[in-house]
Amino acid sequence: MTLIRDLDNEPFAARYGCDRFTATVLANRYRYIVEHVCGQLLTAAFSPILRDFYDFAATLTGPPALGYPTPAMNNSILLFTGTMTDSVRNTIEEYGVGRLEAGDVIVANDPYRTGTHVNDLLFCRPVFEGGRLAAFINLKAHQLDMGGIVPGGFSLTKRNVYETGLVLSPRALYKGGEPVRETWSLIFDNVRFGEILFPDMQTVVAGLGLGERLLAETVERYGIAAVHGAMSYVCDAAAERMSLALEAIPDGEWEGEDASDCDGVDDTEEYRVHVRVVKRGGRAEVDFSGTSRQARSAINATALDAKSTVGAAFKYLFDPRSPFNSGTWRNIDIVLPEGTVVSALPPDGPVFLYYEQSQVMLGAMLRALSQAVGPAAIGGDRGTTDIHNASGVHPDGRPWVSAAQMGGEPGPFGATSNADADTWMLSYQANGIAGAVEAIESDVPAVVLREEPVADTGGPGYNRGGCAVMRDSLWLQPTDHNLMSLHYKRPSGFGVNGGGDGRNGGVWIWEPLDAKARRPSAGADSYRDAQPLAGVLHPETNAPDPDGVFHYPYRQSSWHTDPLSVLRYVNRGGGGWGDPFEREPERVMIDVRDGYVSIEGAARDYGVAVIGDPESDPEGLAIDVAETARLRGGRGRSDT
Amino acid sequence: MLGVDIGGTFTDVVAVRDGRITVTKVASRPASPAEPVVEGARRLGVEGSTLFNHASTAGLNAVITRRLPKVAFLGTDGFRDILTKARLWRPPDAQTDASWRRSFGDSARPLIPRYLRRGVVERILADGSVMTPLDEDQARRQLAVLERCSVEGVAICLLNSYVNRSHEERLRELAREVLGDLPVSISAETSPLAKEYARASTAMVDVMMKLMFTTYAGELDEALRGLGFTGALNFADCAATLMPWKDALEQPFRIVFAGPAAGTTASARLGGALGEKELICCDVGGTSTDVSLVVGGRPFVNDTFSLEHDLIINALSTEISSVGAGGGSIVSLSPTGDVLVGPESAGADPGPACYGRGGRAPTITDACLLMGILDPDGFADGELRLDAGLSLAAFEALESRLDVHERIAYAYRIAVHNIAEEVTNVAVRHGVDLRDFALVAYGAAGPMLLPAALEQLRVKRIVIPPHPGLFSALGLLSTDLVYYDSRSAYMLLTPDAAPRIAEMFEEMEALLRSRVAGAGADVVVRRSFDGRLYGQSWETPLVAVADGPISADTVAAMVASFHEEYERRYGNRFEAMPVQGVTYRVELVVAVEKVDFESMSTGPGTREPAAVRTRSIRYFEAAPFDAPEYDRAMLPAGARVEGPAIIREGLSTTFLCPGQIASVGRLGEISIEPASRS
Amino acid sequence: MHSFPRPQELHLAARRTPAEGACPECGSEELADYRVLSEGGWWDVRKCQRCLHSLAREAAPPFGSYTPLGLEI
Repeated sequence: MTLIRDLDNEPFAARYGCDRFTATVLANRYRYIVEHVCGQLLTAAFSPILRDFYDFAATLTGPPALGYPTPAMNNSILLFTGTMTDSVRNTIEEYGVGRLEAGDVIVANDPYRTGTHVNDLLFCRPVFEGGRLAAFINLKAHQLDMGGIVPGGFSLTKRNVYETGLVLSPRALYKGGEPVRETWSLIFDNVRFGEILFPDMQTVVAGLGLGERLLAETVERYGIAAVHGAMSYVCDAAAERMSLALEAIPDGEWEGEDASDCDGVDDTEEYRVHVRVVKRGGRAEVDFSGTSRQARSAINATALDAKSTVGAAFKYLFDPRSPFNSGTWRNIDIVLPEGTVVSALPPDGPVFLYYEQSQVMLGAMLRALSQAVGPAAIGGDRGTTDIHNASGVHPDGRPWVSAAQMGGEPGPFGATSNADADTWMLSYQANGIAGAVEAIESDVPAVVLREEPVADTGGPGYNRGGCAVMRDSLWLQPTDHNLMSLHYKRPSGFGVNGGGDGRNGGVWIWEPLDAKARRPSAGADSYRDAQPLAGVLHPETNAPDPDGVFHYPYRQSSWHTDPLSVLRYVNRGGGGWGDPFEREPERVMIDVRDGYVSIEGAARDYGVAVIGDPESDPEGLAIDVAETARLRGGRGRSDT
Repeated sequence: MLGVDIGGTFTDVVAVRDGRITVTKVASRPASPAEPVVEGARRLGVEGSTLFNHASTAGLNAVITRRLPKVAFLGTDGFRDILTKARLWRPPDAQTDASWRRSFGDSARPLIPRYLRRGVVERILADGSVMTPLDEDQARRQLAVLERCSVEGVAICLLNSYVNRSHEERLRELAREVLGDLPVSISAETSPLAKEYARASTAMVDVMMKLMFTTYAGELDEALRGLGFTGALNFADCAATLMPWKDALEQPFRIVFAGPAAGTTASARLGGALGEKELICCDVGGTSTDVSLVVGGRPFVNDTFSLEHDLIINALSTEISSVGAGGGSIVSLSPTGDVLVGPESAGADPGPACYGRGGRAPTITDACLLMGILDPDGFADGELRLDAGLSLAAFEALESRLDVHERIAYAYRIAVHNIAEEVTNVAVRHGVDLRDFALVAYGAAGPMLLPAALEQLRVKRIVIPPHPGLFSALGLLSTDLVYYDSRSAYMLLTPDAAPRIAEMFEEMEALLRSRVAGAGADVVVRRSFDGRLYGQSWETPLVAVADGPISADTVAAMVASFHEEYERRYGNRFEAMPVQGVTYRVELVVAVEKVDFESMSTGPGTREPAAVRTRSIRYFEAAPFDAPEYDRAMLPAGARVEGPAIIREGLSTTFLCPGQIASVGRLGEISIEPASRS
Repeated sequence: MHSFPRPQELHLAARRTPAEGACPECGSEELADYRVLSEGGWWDVRKCQRCLHSLAREAAPPFGSYTPLGLEI
């Protein structure tokens, strides 16, 4: 088929119902529409999980007659992208196209139908034009609670569908602009915090109304033929970009694997994700054969989550700066055995921490594709979200909750050919705003004691991976801690192109001694008197050690601590890119000066001898050229 | 009165005397920035002037280029990375880009490298109590390291210092003891607001600006006095409000970026004279278009300003959204053959292809020249001859299946469309209905692009002010002196909060009034607060607070105003939720002399103006058409022109589309309405 | 299938059934029938195993192998 850029005006207009100018304008406009729908939610939502963690996404979807193309989805959370291309179609088809009327809002949340987890409620609003179904404006947004046995839902010990929460098959929330009371009641009779869900859901519906208005104005201005033609154009263009990018690399077959340590039942079984990527010309196939069966507790994901992550991996490597749409997947087929940890089925393959499997899948995909793309390979990030939740009761009886504030949430990226990686990020498939320490401390009876990178944990490389972050917190009242980390047995931050792996961390608690809080140092010898909760740790020092002992974090469903206990999270270093012995000694010395690499680490990991004291005389550091040449043994460079 | 606007390339000086405007342009000299200012002042004359208002983008330029003084940062031990962690989030367009790095992070270009950011052992809790006293010996050891590194200044931000600043104050004393008398900014003084990151970065930028501006401002004042200037030298800030220069040096973070906001201020002032309180302001320059809002007669202001993505400071700033579409924006093609405009720009050098200075890429200026909108002989007051042949060659060189005339037509339409979309975006984001708004079109390229967007935008009308190319600079002469201060305290807004709130407002007002002692009766006090619904992690800024004593009733009124403002900004009301106050702010406004649009003269011509000549406009519609060309200086108040037409003036060209009606108002402004409505 | 027992095997494999014929693009006789997830959802495909050309793509059920019991009523 002729490439889009080689189409003359007439064939272009015949294919897309408008000229190139209009197609360009409408492509932008679709993106603006979904951004505005999200902007409305972002500014007006009540819940911090929406506002700070962008746990929502909006899409514009074409009508059934066009096969429900998704020409625009906003860039808030990657985890939703692959699900929304399919879930809108599934939801509308199941509800019944013929039953739709203007002013409807259809909702659904079943992970096996719509992907992600039950808290993510999908809202679809049909947009009519002259009595004909023109499009859908859709939002999927995380709700603070969706019932089930754990408040808020964040737990990996839930055992089946009945424990994870309320499942909503497609149904109307509004019919012809009027609320459908039985749907609202079904939700509010089964979920907690209804007072907060209600305003959030109202905001979602207002956002859909805004999207509907903007789309209606667009149809009025450009006509329905152009609007629909441009939807096809946008998806075709994305498919073509991906296909051209695939053609640019040699054909081949590549395999990759990553795994979770355990599920929430016990640590007798690891859950691995295996992918085999076959690339021929502009086409690719990703086969998940060799992946573990579904887990017994809520760490599973579903097929649509696999689709999201496969798309994310291809975008990261082949088309990083353009937005997603349904055309992204046109030349990619995913082969997925049923009942795996990433294609779980009800009722016994419960889904909640689907995003942890998304991290594992991305690790497997990036490992496989790193063999295909040469220098464009990217090092692994910390490969898990490391969310920590805690709760307790104030002395006056008011309950308090700390959600995703004190664990290993901020951490490193992996390095790329471009440069060293940042240490302070969320993971590759998440994004969000970190709460300020001062804001957290004004709400939660806890004190953050330290938030710092740990030297030598970033994967060494010509470009270095970001370092693991150590975060210590002091808890002033009796507290129950809920852990959700699944990745200690193998490095998540894998190195590429000769770069080294990042180092793993763990979770520890120091109980108070003689009613006084202990103040652990940041050093490697600080762990001896700590109680290890998670990690692969040295049997005596309790410090992270790849040859050490695995501590299963869920031997208790939650960890209770007395007042004045100290909690420590160390997450994982990101992977390095390229041979560390090729790194300019000057850049290694700057890392020593800035505390990202120790003098010992510089010699061991980079073969660079740095002399001086970085702590007391940072500008007085120097490189011992002769010793560096000896350490590097003729490998790499020893000049600066 | 004079205004000076110092940009990266040129320093513009504008003088207004008896309604007459004179202008001069001097090449900027980053190495000795005062020189071109003094030169400009000398050319226009400062004797007898009452005001010399100064705006500069030098601070932001220094930050962006990292040509910054060597400054250290002291934070609470364990938190020296506040400045590299920032708020964590990455921009939406970098969502699948692993190579994205925070521009000011340690792996990119930090403003202060990590080894100059040091931790000090101490800890204050959220309630202001001391958990760990300041370890002075350890602090001295850290300061000794900084002394060895010969830093020029120090920024200090300790956790929870917004409730208890004693450790920061003591640490400043220690810093001076060890390092001598160098500039130190402590966060509890620069912006005593909750949330450590913005407070820390504000303190950092503050001490850097102290180092950049202190000597400069003194020298400038002295030089102006030497030229016979006896009036007041004022510095403009991010909201284009003024401060006497000595006050500006007390809070120099406010002046890190001044200039662009002045256009919004000028619009508000012009709107005031025209009776238009709802304006959308559109400044089309060489590389970008800046869009801002005037609501209820006042510029829309935010409580923070971003120097780069997520590099924020706690400064009141006019909210300006930019889109990379201007006269110099480069026209290119996407891989799938779409015509793209910007964000790359040919800038002033080499400039558009038609400048003949070596620019090879086609730009919007080239498109306008080929369309017949621009006059090859009359550009920039006739100082530059444009070569249409070079423009055509540049468009022909694009590898496209489109005919060259389609490329030109698409480039113009895409530029107009991109600007219109940004205007729409600003409106949608603020939930305003453009049908209630007039669009002010300025910047040299504004009048040739914006009328073409009129039908798409559905604004009431487009207003092209007198001197659109100088309009921003006039904004510097349209503004007041504003002193402000703020404090944070997390508290539920219940009646018992009144005494604490009263105490904060009284303290701030007394402090500010002491600084304007002698200003007399012309002082207006504006109070506001930033609050949130209990349980939220972000604030709704700038909620108005009534004058007078703070009582339980005032607090109830604050809660009511919060719900009003929340609904105005976000469209929802959650009255069942308790409201928590976070930040309390006082602004003290002192009126100064301003430019008077009323007295600006309009043309001497007749109401039935005669065209200077006729031009052929190509590529705008399927077939070329003729458009009469008018000289703006010859159009008097009351004149009406029907489109298509070209209205020419020294630094700018208005292109009136077919069917549109332009009328000249009593202040000389051109008002354009769509044909269908006249 | 409405309810799905946990698989007995630790690691699972997708089934591909060899099919008769030749690929019109590359001529290979290595064809197979299987189910894939792609743009537009689940598909039952016949694909060339050498060049990945699809000889046939038929829409599969919306949730792959899973059918909620409610939808069978």
